[in-house]
Amino acid sequence: MDPKLDLLYRLADDQLILGHRNSEWNGLGPILEEDIAFSSMAQDKLGHSLQLYMLLHELGEAEPDTVAFTRNTPQFHCCQLTELPIGEYDFSLIRHFLFDHAELLRFEALADSSYEPLALVARKVKGELKYHVLHANTWVKRLGTATEEAITRMQAALEFTLPYALGIFETTEAEPEIISSGLFIGEMELQRRWEESISKVLAQTALTLPDLRLLTPVSGGRYGQHTEHLQPLLDEMAEVFRLDPTADW
Amino acid sequence: MYGSASTHDIPTQATTGLENEDPILLAEFEARIARGEKIEPTDWMPQLYRKQLTRMIEQHAHSEIIGSLPEGTWITRAPGFRRKMAQMAKVQDEVGHAQLLYSAAETLGKTREQMLSDLVNGKSKYSNVFNYPTPTWADSNVISWLIDAGAIVNQMANAKGSYGPYCRALDRICAEEAFHLKYGHDAVVHMATGTPIQRKMMQEALNRWWPAIMTFFGPSDKMSTHTEILMRWKVKMATNDACRQQFLDMYVPKIWEIGLTLPDANLRKNEDGVWEFSEPDWEDFKRVINGDGPCNAERIAVRRAAEENGAWVRRAMQQPKAQYVRPLA
Amino acid sequence: MLFSFDPRISRLELPEAPSLPTDKVALDQFPTYEVFHQRKENAAYAYVGPVHAPEADVAFLFGKEQFSRRFPCTGMWVVLTSNIRVTEYGDDQQSVYDRLPLLPADELGTADAADLEAYDIFHLKKRGKAHAHVGQVQAASPEAALQAAKAAFGDQRPVVNVWVVRSADLLRSDEADRDMWTTTPDKKYREAIAYKVQDRIDRFKQEG
Ligand SMILES: [Fe+2]
Ligand SMILES: [Fe+2]
Ligand SMILES: [Fe+2]
Repeated sequence: MDPKLDLLYRLADDQLILGHRNSEWNGLGPILEEDIAFSSMAQDKLGHSLQLYMLLHELGEAEPDTVAFTRNTPQFHCCQLTELPIGEYDFSLIRHFLFDHAELLRFEALADSSYEPLALVARKVKGELKYHVLHANTWVKRLGTATEEAITRMQAALEFTLPYALGIFETTEAEPEIISSGLFIGEMELQRRWEESISKVLAQTALTLPDLRLLTPVSGGRYGQHTEHLQPLLDEMAEVFRLDPTADW
Repeated sequence: MYGSASTHDIPTQATTGLENEDPILLAEFEARIARGEKIEPTDWMPQLYRKQLTRMIEQHAHSEIIGSLPEGTWITRAPGFRRKMAQMAKVQDEVGHAQLLYSAAETLGKTREQMLSDLVNGKSKYSNVFNYPTPTWADSNVISWLIDAGAIVNQMANAKGSYGPYCRALDRICAEEAFHLKYGHDAVVHMATGTPIQRKMMQEALNRWWPAIMTFFGPSDKMSTHTEILMRWKVKMATNDACRQQFLDMYVPKIWEIGLTLPDANLRKNEDGVWEFSEPDWEDFKRVINGDGPCNAERIAVRRAAEENGAWVRRAMQQPKAQYVRPLA
Repeated sequence: MLFSFDPRISRLELPEAPSLPTDKVALDQFPTYEVFHQRKENAAYAYVGPVHAPEADVAFLFGKEQFSRRFPCTGMWVVLTSNIRVTEYGDDQQSVYDRLPLLPADELGTADAADLEAYDIFHLKKRGKAHAHVGQVQAASPEAALQAAKAAFGDQRPVVNVWVVRSADLLRSDEADRDMWTTTPDKKYREAIAYKVQDRIDRFKQEG
């Protein structure tokens, strides 16, 4: 695949799927105010995915709605981390923490991309992502230093989630060209920055970051291999569309 | 959304308790309201005023948080980015409205946690329309447009009421509702003027919801001493019938102009400008509000699950030395 | 299992019959923080409402989304409710400063500059409206700050109510955090103006 398309699809699909997942908390959150905050961040994610699908459309791909809501599992390039069900709040928070740290660093790097339209998008959403990470850090620091119950839960969630989070950085065949053409710094460099960034926060908590070298990343997502959870979500997302494909909703 | 007249339980006890209030303070209080000034939380107020407002604002808040569920379910399924983002933002606003309204009620002395506790234990009511399901996307659109429209009629009236914190909350809520109304209308119009499948979906959803919509403002008010006092105190700002008439006048023409029909052969506007309609089935309304509707059990179960699943988070976040103080305004 | 049209709820796998009622524990009740926002550059900070939060940093996270997601904003302050010193409420058209007894100097604490601290003063101009920031004074106690406020801002009227907050108790957004709000105006999908449907209705009626 063209390196631009390859990169854009991965980014857009991640945001689309995680945005949908996080939106499932709408109305069910642990504290009213947190319900509102989490929903905003889910909206931001969908908004980011839309902007990225629009870039894809400019590059000749189909309309954003078509691309986002009519493909099936094998055509999706999101990492498996994003598609897991929301579970309990410990998992959803840890996923948000791990993903959004990577996302902020990714968009910071993309602000200097040689592909100017993407750099523009990245510069624009920087402030939003700053809030996301501030939110994630505040919660992880609070819960990671709180009751024994909370620390145990957060530690378990962290250990469960990390292998999936490493899947964020799975590379594709286009990777060498993505780097050499100045599109993006590359997944390896991103992962290095990410490790540094999450370690700094976790060091301020009672949580321990396992040795990432000993973990096996859950990969395959970038190549269309997904968990059993993705297709039912895609079906849900397309449910109304499919009632009448000719309709304007 | 969701004004409070829709739960319409003005107390029915025989006395107002006013004979026990200090007549001088009462006269000052009433004079302030008559001058058009708002009451603020630390002002002296009659017991009946405090009690009725607490109940009203609390029920309004419950209606927002419960009301987020029938539309929340359609977020992941909403067709396309435009609808999806709007649906999310709208449902988020409703949760936000609950937060604002609980805060306003708290200034009267009841804690938010106590209110939430009463909700999940079935001790307080919320707008009855949310005891009905949204089996299709079109049902969700009907809520977004017409239930919100009904709520706005209520809220605009209540925003002119006498209690400062409630007015402040409602000013903000009304500003946000403008989007809900337009969004809901836009979605309904797209379906009503769309393909045959869309039209059929929308007409069926409207037929399902119309009886509930007609009960939204509650039965005709019995003009009791209570009602009169509460209207004088600007707690109740308009009668249920007046709200219903206003709603019909504003929205029935808009429903008809896009080729939709309403399942009431008697619905018409008289020459004197008053809308006629078949009397809603108030017995059925009572049955549902008392717990026997299609979704009562689910709504409470979901709220309770949200409370229980979130309990560990709140426990962990709690600071032992932290003292709750009710909000100031 | 509880049947629901809501796929999210089905995934929660709730029991058919709800569990026994449980009263929420008192512990669940967080303190409250009052939130002020700035609508645009150089505008006075105005009161927007409270949030429940365990601490100020969390209150800021919450206040930001509850009170500044829908309207333009350039900054936000939060303060623990119990850290606000409140005067009594006056009538509209009056000034509560007029009713404020002048305290003798010895009750105002030392005039020693080292003991002085900054206090932020907020006025309510009309019942039912929101408190707005009018400025800062230097004082040794909240009571002294109120006296200083009377001297500095007492000629403004009406003043229905005054809030006094030790400046150090306000958590303020950083200058550098402004960009958290830059995309708010772009989120047109949550504005009424984005929904224009009259053309479609007119077309439908014509084709009728
Ligand atoms: Fe994010
Ligand atoms: Fe609302
Ligand atoms: Fe609404």
